[in-house]
Amino acid sequence: MSAKKTRLTITVDPHLSAYAEHLVETGKAPSVSAVFNDAMEARIQRERRQRRLWKEAAERSDPAKVARMMAHVDAQAAALPER
Amino acid sequence: MSEDSGATPPPYVLDLSVAVAVARFDASVMTLIQGYDARGQLLVVPVLALTGASLDVRTEDADDLLEGLERLGNAEVALLRDAEQAVRLAAVIARTALDTWDAHVAAVADASVCPILTLDAGKWRQHSEDLDEPLHIIEIADPDETPGDAGVAD
Repeated sequence: MSAKKTRLTITVDPHLSAYAEHLVETGKAPSVSAVFNDAMEARIQRERRQRRLWKEAAERSDPAKVARMMAHVDAQAAALPER
Repeated sequence: MSEDSGATPPPYVLDLSVAVAVARFDASVMTLIQGYDARGQLLVVPVLALTGASLDVRTEDADDLLEGLERLGNAEVALLRDAEQAVRLAAVIARTALDTWDAHVAAVADASVCPILTLDAGKWRQHSEDLDEPLHIIEIADPDETPGDAGVAD
């Protein structure tokens, strides 16, 4: 996490804004900015996890088998009538 | 988009069987999809196929895999956008008796005149003639595997 913060003006849905304010008022977050930071951090982590899973699939697959499957798909695609 | 020919290939519409394979972490199917994405092949994922696949595999990993599909550079989720599309989906369900998830696939493929990429061509052959224009089907299969083998088959 960077120590230097960037000022950002954003527009959010009213219910999300109200929820962020609620978190601050009830002491569950230090500021609305912190709520935004946490939400973005969670999204980054989730997207990283998704990319890692897809990368793992590529590492586990049999390249020869996938090449045969793609050739099979390509042959069928080539035989389709023109749109 | 195509690297080796003048014609742009039509987008492939992924059906429920492909989405379920992704949710089940079928490495071969996922790698094939990533291969087409890397080639610049447009992939259309009807949103209800994702819903059906998520219902098939109720795990956080499965949902992450399905959401990861949307993050591929050349994949686009086809939404059910408005009343007209909702009514059209109902018409496809009525005419084909497909389940809702694959009926959305058929509706998207029919409207866009794009082929359906599937692991189960047999299922689609039954419904190919149900609509005004025939659906075009491309089956994902390993020609070296006999039906019934583990992994990609059907």
